[in-house]
Amino acid sequence: MHEYSIALEVWGSVAAAAREHGGGRVRSIRLELGVLNLIEDEQLNFWVEALAERDGSPGLELDIVHVPGRVKCRGCGAEGECRVPEGTLPYFAMGAMRCAECGLGDVDIVGGRDLKVVTAEIETEGRNGRGE
Amino acid sequence: MRLFETTDTGSVEIEIGEDLQARHEELAERNRQLFAERGIRAFDITGSVGAGKTSLIAGMVERLSAKHGVAVIAGDVATTHDAERVAGKGARKVLQINTGGMCHLDASLVARALGQLPESGIEVLFIENVGNLICPSFFPLGAEKRIAVVSASEGSHVIEKHPAMFESADVVVLNKMDIAEAVNVDMEQPVADLEKVRPGIAVVKTNCLVGEGVDDVLRALELA
Repeated sequence: MHEYSIALEVWGSVAAAAREHGGGRVRSIRLELGVLNLIEDEQLNFWVEALAERDGSPGLELDIVHVPGRVKCRGCGAEGECRVPEGTLPYFAMGAMRCAECGLGDVDIVGGRDLKVVTAEIETEGRNGRGE
Repeated sequence: MRLFETTDTGSVEIEIGEDLQARHEELAERNRQLFAERGIRAFDITGSVGAGKTSLIAGMVERLSAKHGVAVIAGDVATTHDAERVAGKGARKVLQINTGGMCHLDASLVARALGQLPESGIEVLFIENVGNLICPSFFPLGAEKRIAVVSASEGSHVIEKHPAMFESADVVVLNKMDIAEAVNVDMEQPVADLEKVRPGIAVVKTNCLVGEGVDDVLRALELA
């Protein structure tokens, strides 16, 4: 859902950073993506690569690091990672989430909606050296 | 932004650390603060196309506007029909946001619309989200409460099919109760499903077309 608009945001952020660092081709992007965003990896990949190609960075690799969901129980206050049963779409798991401590189904989502552009690898065309 | 060491392959890895999720949440939080500063109690009304969001809002505006300054922001991909239906019910201001294709309202659109509201005198703001039970779930507007409207003609499994929306809702309105039998829908099913997903959530049964149950919704929102 909204893979395209997220791709636009991600690429926009990286393209701006690339311009500040010599404007070379972007080789790869590392993105932290919470599983409770319900984003289709393949779709997101497709659009980020398409935008990158449009803007002079063909062959870009998108490295998605999945962040698991975290829930906090409205009953007993316990907080923890929410595990999605193998083969279940996270979307449907949302309706079946239970507190691991007290078994209540009334939980707040407190994590797993991350969307963070962590790093990007940019070509420097032969430049060398370190810097801060 | 920090530069990492250059690799042998003629590239540099830069740390960007841009938290896009935080940006959405910050915008919602900013709206929340603006509402508080201006003494506005804001409510986000979601639901499928045709569920009864506009009817509910029209009914609430009618009942509140004698004693309170009420404003409405109606969100739709296109047309001003919703705003037009509510205008004339007594609201001080009714604004229409046309998203032009976006399937949900987000905090930035609401912030922009806020700029067109009277500086003072608005105590209650109803924000009618775009007709959609999926996308708005992911975009907090900074409202005090979210009301999700479900109607009988959508079938009895709406809650199960849209868990994200009901996870984010504070009050659920089950509308068009009067035609449930005619469309062969068991409205106790959504009540039971909500009890599983959100035990204790306020559920109000209505027939918004004739105003039945609207007072109960106002009570659930602590507006009456």
